[in-house]
Amino acid sequence: MSPPVSHPMNTSRRLFLQHGSILSALAGTGAPLALNLLAAGSAAAQTAGDYRAVVCLFLFGGNDAYNMVLPTDTASWNAYTATRNQAPDPISLLAPGTAPVGTAAAGSPARLGGVLPIAPLNAQSRTFALHPLMGSLQTMFDSDRRLAILPNIGPLVAPTTKAQYAQASYPKPARLFSHNDQQSTWQSLAPEGASAGWGGRIADALAATNTRTVFTSVSATGSAVWLSGRSVRQYQVSPAGAIRLGANANGQVYGSTAVADALNRMAGTARGTHVLQADMAAVAQRSIDAEALLRTTLRPASDSAFGTAPPSGNYNPNNDPKLQYTNPITGNSAFNALAQQLQVVARMVDAGMSGATGVRRQVFFVSLGGFDSHDFQNRNQADNLARVAQALRYFDTTLGALNARANVTTFTGSDFGRTFTSNGDGTDHGWGSHHFVMGGAVRGGDLYGRFPTLGLKNANNNNFDSSADQLGNGAMLPGTSVDQLGSTLARWFGLSDSQILDVFPNLANFDAGVRNLGFLTA
Amino acid sequence: MTRSFLKRKATALVFTTMFTMLLAACGGGGGSGDGGNGGGGSTPPPVVVEKPATRAEAARFLTQATFGPNDAAIDRVMDIGYAAWIDEQFALPATSHRSHWEARNAEIAAATPGSTAGQDQVFESFWKQAVTGPDQLRQRTAFALSQIFVISMVDGNVGNDPRSVAAWLDMLGDQGLGTYRGLLESVSRHPMMGYYLSHLRNQKADPRTGRVPDENYAREVMQLFSIGLVELNEDGTARTGTGGAALETYTPVDISGMARVFTGFSWTCPDWPDNNCFFSGSNGGVSNPDRGFLPMKGYPQYHSTEVKTFLGTSIAAQTTSAPDASLATAMDTLANHANVGPFIGRQLIQRLVTSNPSAAYVTAVSRVFANNGSGVRGDMKAVVKAVLMNPEARTTSDTSGKLREPVLRLSAYLRAFPHSSDTGYWRVGNTDNAGTSLGQTPLRAPSVFNFYRPGYVAPGTQSATRNMASPEMQLVSETTAAGFVNYMRDNLSSGVGATNTTVNGVVRNRRDVQPDFTAELALAGDAPALMARVADRLSYGNFGAAAQTDAAAAVTSIVIPAATGSNQAAIDTAKRNRVNAAVLLVLASPEFQVQK
Repeated sequence: MSPPVSHPMNTSRRLFLQHGSILSALAGTGAPLALNLLAAGSAAAQTAGDYRAVVCLFLFGGNDAYNMVLPTDTASWNAYTATRNQAPDPISLLAPGTAPVGTAAAGSPARLGGVLPIAPLNAQSRTFALHPLMGSLQTMFDSDRRLAILPNIGPLVAPTTKAQYAQASYPKPARLFSHNDQQSTWQSLAPEGASAGWGGRIADALAATNTRTVFTSVSATGSAVWLSGRSVRQYQVSPAGAIRLGANANGQVYGSTAVADALNRMAGTARGTHVLQADMAAVAQRSIDAEALLRTTLRPASDSAFGTAPPSGNYNPNNDPKLQYTNPITGNSAFNALAQQLQVVARMVDAGMSGATGVRRQVFFVSLGGFDSHDFQNRNQADNLARVAQALRYFDTTLGALNARANVTTFTGSDFGRTFTSNGDGTDHGWGSHHFVMGGAVRGGDLYGRFPTLGLKNANNNNFDSSADQLGNGAMLPGTSVDQLGSTLARWFGLSDSQILDVFPNLANFDAGVRNLGFLTA
Repeated sequence: MTRSFLKRKATALVFTTMFTMLLAACGGGGGSGDGGNGGGGSTPPPVVVEKPATRAEAARFLTQATFGPNDAAIDRVMDIGYAAWIDEQFALPATSHRSHWEARNAEIAAATPGSTAGQDQVFESFWKQAVTGPDQLRQRTAFALSQIFVISMVDGNVGNDPRSVAAWLDMLGDQGLGTYRGLLESVSRHPMMGYYLSHLRNQKADPRTGRVPDENYAREVMQLFSIGLVELNEDGTARTGTGGAALETYTPVDISGMARVFTGFSWTCPDWPDNNCFFSGSNGGVSNPDRGFLPMKGYPQYHSTEVKTFLGTSIAAQTTSAPDASLATAMDTLANHANVGPFIGRQLIQRLVTSNPSAAYVTAVSRVFANNGSGVRGDMKAVVKAVLMNPEARTTSDTSGKLREPVLRLSAYLRAFPHSSDTGYWRVGNTDNAGTSLGQTPLRAPSVFNFYRPGYVAPGTQSATRNMASPEMQLVSETTAAGFVNYMRDNLSSGVGATNTTVNGVVRNRRDVQPDFTAELALAGDAPALMARVADRLSYGNFGAAAQTDAAAAVTSIVIPAATGSNQAAIDTAKRNRVNAAVLLVLASPEFQVQK
């Protein structure tokens, strides 16, 4: 439980040396931006109490939130069942209390059993439940009160009614319903082609409080525009930790230290004037420099705070019980790669809180794919939500062991929500969606935003005139904007009102009173 | 007469290209000289470059047109010139990936009853043909097309039918050099695409219950496989309307209309159009064993007969359900859309030659797409030739070219130095892992949006400040930068791929794919000469003298012990380590990793 031993003098010296070597290594690349990124900012003393991190868990493909957070009052449930109970493979989950049928097809609603009731502090005169495999989140919502729900959130330019949506001239996000564009819009408030996301923009404003800006913005998965700022660049760490380029533990390649050193020069230096060569060299040099620091500052994954040390031999994450979830299709325990991504985030949070990585504010990105459930939705979504539930619980527990729960806030995002209607065994692209926020600073156990009305389709077409919240095929028209979520997180991070409006310009279209959703303590 | 016309057009293109490059040089500080053309005099500028002036130029062309240059290919291009080489390649017969898979499946089943071949055997065939196949241009084009028309074995259903995925790759190699219209229909009817984008078994709407057709394929066939999101000029730039906003090609209404087309398609089946055939591909236990790759059939009873309106076309309500007729109209509408030439042409340029083609380059390819000179639209051979023969493909600047994607880095290495496979299967295997391998496996993209997006701009880079796209940079990170070097480090010392214990009774206990460094080992005692040879084979002149000097000093640090008469093993090891180091130092360099 105790933080790793820290030697302030040595750390300072190492930081100094590190900066020196980074600066000299970069001098030849002619990359002022890179210099800016790695240069020392404020040398303010580190205090663990002032450390904060935001973690984005992105569900790639467009999660069907209609089957993740469900209103169970009679009117909602009837509309849900009438709409989604369609042949050949009904995707309507079963009512709370329904016992699972062990002989039913894997992943089918009958096999999963009933949805799990939750009790929001302010239930908006309705009742609610979670997907049957999200029991750990039910506990975090109802008992631990570290999980909150953001109903019907999505990208918006301004508050929008159905009537306004129908007006061609009313401002709306570009390229709705398109995967790549809405992934980008969730992360950067603009369609594909955007080069800076709001996580990175928030980090831009605070990077000066970090002495080592390279670790301000970190992906434990692929590159994500959410993490890129105008000056801040994302650093990508492998789920197993930073990977050393070339050299073995003795600093050698093919038995030679000179070859290992030359390899760093070859990979990390742009000779000549070709632009792409310079870009490649800059990435390699960052890889080399960052790994040199993390090698000595990250506690190992096998440390009991994060994982399980094997009785003998090397640590293998695939066999670590802490990183296992129960696969609902096979019924067996299986490795959860998402949990391993969160494991390395926890290791970096640990190093950050100890001051070893020179950061006071960090943004992290982790992800899980496979949510585009046009078909086989029952099986695929069940498997994915089981992973999400296990990984979030693992992360919460691990942060608890680090005494870091109040320092880290995690939220989920996704391309879009999906249609309410069924295409026979799945759903199509929608817009608004329900999402989670989790953390010790979260005022959990509640809904932040009005839960939408679920209606019945019109008699003669697939519009939903019975609901002010649903468009064609029952896709949700968001009631809360991604900007409102982002501004709430940014405020917690320490951005001023004017900084927040700079990052989220569309927020000016929303009343001042709703710009902070209120799900975080001060 | 046709020929002189083409030459005139090409001349104009040369001028345009040179003008663009001058502008780029002003902004970017110094384009690289194009060695070989100096000497002055009054000769007019070259019209169409028919033959490479140097082996380095030939190697550069082969980096675009093949899985990597080797001596034999360079010799051939030097001998007959670019155009004749392309024609010769087009004429070579294809080797079937599916045949490889089936032969391997039979062997595996014979050796271990109950076992079958899997995805690994698809990768075997891919790598076997990439490294040793004579029809390099066909295979390279098929690989490029596999990143535009994307299916992925990451998907469980696709991944569980590797034989049909091998057939998909055959289809891309065949139809990819046919017409675009034929290619698009082959893609749309392929059951693996039907699985991947879920239009296989897609049913018409049920107005009573509110069930709707699956819109997945309708959306992606427009967004990704044909016309894209916005109206394009023939030079690939977006057409804009009032206020400068790009004109979108379709709306949700077009998608709903197109989704009705892609209803009622399912397996080929002996009892077609029986209902059980539609849902399961068999009836009464009888199915077609090739249903995984035979074109999907239309099942009238599940096909929408409603009016289908999309992209300005309307298919009238059908009194007799006619899925094939609906599909033909949709395919014609898409294939004849003015966007296809610039949309697909620009991406082919990006896959083969450069991430940022000029407007003139895209225009030239778009025009060939529209008309191959004989009135044929969408002639893919003509399009590929136009991509490779454009004067812009034959020149370089500080902003030209592209990052080599990881698969093409490995293939270039395997072809630059002779390699062989102990089993003959080329067991390279799955290379997904970004930290310990390539972070990219053929036919295993993470989604239908491929490994990277054609418009990707890498945040915070020099290329971004110049508004340059760099699709392959989407795979580049601190993790992959180290992972690739380490993977190649081990490939050099141990060979590539799966480890064999015994092959045909011979104990191997080594990785399947092994290099033959005879020529390099002969130079191991002379580090500068070794570096010069390795740099030439991997970088066609880009890994320059200063880098070679630095690298040679490091290579020299590996001491070759003086012969004592009893230390030959130590001597051999040291020599091999020198060769490994020399090769790795070039593979790790930006000069190799960027295809200029």
